[in-house]
Amino acid sequence: MSGYLEGVLVLLAVNVVFAYGGFLPLAAGQLNLGLAGFAAIGAYASAYLSNVFKLAPLLAIPLAGIVAGAVALVVAVPVLRTRGIYLALATFALGQIVQAIILNLEVVGGAAGYPVAAFIRLPTIAATAAIVVVLVWLLFATRFGIAVTAVHDDEGAADLMGIDVRGFQIAAFALGSAIAGVGGGLYAHHFSFIEAQYFNISLSITIVLYVLLGGTQTVIGPLLGAAVFTLLPELLRASANLRYVAFAAAVIVIMALRPEGLVTAGQLRRLLGFTRAEHAAAGLPTERTG
Amino acid sequence: MSATDPILRLESVSKHFGGLRVIEDLTLAVRRGVRTALIGPNGAGKTTVFNLITGVFPVDAGRILLDGIDITDTPSRLRIGHGIARSFQNIRLMPHLSTLENVMVGQHCRNRGMRGVLQPVNLVPRNRWREAARAALADAALIQYERSTVGNLPYGVQKRIELVRALMAQPRVLLLDEPAAGLNPAETEALQAQLETSCAGGGVTVLVVEHDMHFVGALCEDVIVLDFGRKIAEGSPEDIRHNPLVQETYLGAPAAEPMERQNARGA
Amino acid sequence: MLGSIYAMVAVALTLSIGVLRFLNFSIPGLFMIGGMTAWASLRSGMAWPLAIGVALVAGAFASLVVERFTWRWMRSAQHFVPLVSSMAFLLLFEHLAVIYWGSELRTLPALFASADWRIAGLVISLPQLAGLVCSIALIWVLTLVLARTRLGRGLRTIAEDSDTALLLGIDINRIVPVVFLISGLFAALSGVIFALNYRQVHPFMGEVVGLKGISAMIVGGLGNIWGSIAGGLIIGLVEVMSIGYLGADFVDIAVYGLLLLILFVRPTGLFAGALAGQRA
Repeated sequence: MSGYLEGVLVLLAVNVVFAYGGFLPLAAGQLNLGLAGFAAIGAYASAYLSNVFKLAPLLAIPLAGIVAGAVALVVAVPVLRTRGIYLALATFALGQIVQAIILNLEVVGGAAGYPVAAFIRLPTIAATAAIVVVLVWLLFATRFGIAVTAVHDDEGAADLMGIDVRGFQIAAFALGSAIAGVGGGLYAHHFSFIEAQYFNISLSITIVLYVLLGGTQTVIGPLLGAAVFTLLPELLRASANLRYVAFAAAVIVIMALRPEGLVTAGQLRRLLGFTRAEHAAAGLPTERTG
Repeated sequence: MSATDPILRLESVSKHFGGLRVIEDLTLAVRRGVRTALIGPNGAGKTTVFNLITGVFPVDAGRILLDGIDITDTPSRLRIGHGIARSFQNIRLMPHLSTLENVMVGQHCRNRGMRGVLQPVNLVPRNRWREAARAALADAALIQYERSTVGNLPYGVQKRIELVRALMAQPRVLLLDEPAAGLNPAETEALQAQLETSCAGGGVTVLVVEHDMHFVGALCEDVIVLDFGRKIAEGSPEDIRHNPLVQETYLGAPAAEPMERQNARGA
Repeated sequence: MLGSIYAMVAVALTLSIGVLRFLNFSIPGLFMIGGMTAWASLRSGMAWPLAIGVALVAGAFASLVVERFTWRWMRSAQHFVPLVSSMAFLLLFEHLAVIYWGSELRTLPALFASADWRIAGLVISLPQLAGLVCSIALIWVLTLVLARTRLGRGLRTIAEDSDTALLLGIDINRIVPVVFLISGLFAALSGVIFALNYRQVHPFMGEVVGLKGISAMIVGGLGNIWGSIAGGLIIGLVEVMSIGYLGADFVDIAVYGLLLLILFVRPTGLFAGALAGQRA
């Protein structure tokens, strides 16, 4: 496998993990604009563990994910008392603070960045990404998935149906942050160098955008969004900046025409088992609906 | 009318929003197993009563008792666990869940805790919760819609799905907010049949807010009339129909209403 | 000085949020367009008044493009769509700037080097003073417009209740572009002022200042123009004080820490109150 191809696939795997980090809170109806901050926590924590304590990356990275999730849990309680736009802004401030704190932590290099000694290759990264995808899929196949979607759709009704709205929002937020932390750890141990400047608001925005591009209604959406975002520009041989321009333009267009993203829940259900014949028998319209 | 004990009691309940006194010193009782209607002109406070019972709003004064237990201060989320389930005037199904999943939301209160949340309901083919929900849909003759996107279904069907969802909680008291509104005659009959079979044997006590007096008369044994947040009358549908105070409240005999509606429907 | 720049950006954001309930994430991008266009115009030999004019036109134009693609098409769609699209526009502007101008830091010539004043031991340069006066004047004019003119009344009505506004015959379709225009101009102008004062621009300059502007807006209270001004000044003050007491490294932590604190304790901001409720 050529180095170039390996590089692309690594990037794809990392982006997929980031995508699921963004997907979890979005599925519960919340926008986490501090996602990059939690990725940074995961990156730096795992790097520190493997550099200083000589932990194997396969141990350091999940541990770092747990750290990121724990931090998210601690801040989730006050942050999630805010709603809607305030929540987005609070998470944004959170991300900025994390970035600023890391810039000042000389023990991990501060503004100069932090080199990472241990190195992991594509198979490990791809396997981790696959595990994340499967775990999220399994989670959403339980009552958790139904409850989270209910919270996303109608908090009031969900509450009256006995669902602990605040609890699920906190859980989704913390889990998403933990996953983002794992992504950060993977990134750190492959690119061998991390700096706080990388984990900025642009990164958070970009991740959120490609999750929304893929669609937040299904568990496959984020995978698709990450894939489109990572692979399409490669196929078109776009430069780094042109890729962002094209991506941003694509998001704008898609938000205008199809805000629910590329894959919707209805489509997936149709694909999986409810055929057109049954549709017709039930007297329901057979043409495609959102 | 046998004397059965009340399963739901409101005692001197008051609620005001700002300066507006919506519910004023309201005392009412719903008897166990007796299908009861809550009627009154628009603005009488009927939906507010539902919101108070389910805990959407806290009461400003008075108590709410469910089967003798004071639930006045119980958080809204826990009331369904106590046995109160409801449907909504403006259907509140979850648009991103399939019909079956919407119905399964109703099971949530019986499936609490970590083990409950992690039940692989959509993974394992013969999961008992999923099967129970499918059975409920089948009983209500709605099984053909189980995988549909609820938002695309006819209004009447959505209302009946919401009813199944509420019943999945196995409530003791079922609050239905205008269940027949917007339904055509065939759908109304289906709804009535569904209610009668689900609530047979007195397991579930039904409290219905309704404007359709024909429906009320066919379904309910007890009627409570509200106006301006106060109870002004109660009795059997017959009694209420002939109550002069009630007739005055509606600015015309209630009997005229179903007649107009019957004409409108071409019945 | 920076405080007044933050204030202007905050005002631009507040206008959007107050009237349209729309957190316009593209505003940091418009700030950058103002600054970089001014630099590019100066570099190509234009006189500074013309350069400023060109920058403002660029900012206004970009803002209207944003309006067309975030607001026009999507009023009926889900509520988060304009916010998401505005974030995409920010990325779009930033990376287009990199493609067009390169990603390096660019310096501006010192235009008014000899015009420094000494007041009470402080050195104030002409651009600084001009910038300060400009910001204050424009904000004051804006508040006058809001309070006294028909346009202003229309804006305040929409801010309060867009349904009532429709009933009263206020043409939302005509007013919305105006909001975008004004907030775009404010953002671009603050970018110009920043460029002329600090003499540095680069494609991602919007992020640092724009984000502080967002913070100023939150601190002062969403939808409240006077609040944003106060918020901008407070943030500027916090920055100066933290440089003095904690060292330059902790500036960002102090600012965003304050922001988080406010969001937890008093999310509606220090001076909560709708746009409509503000008197000039």
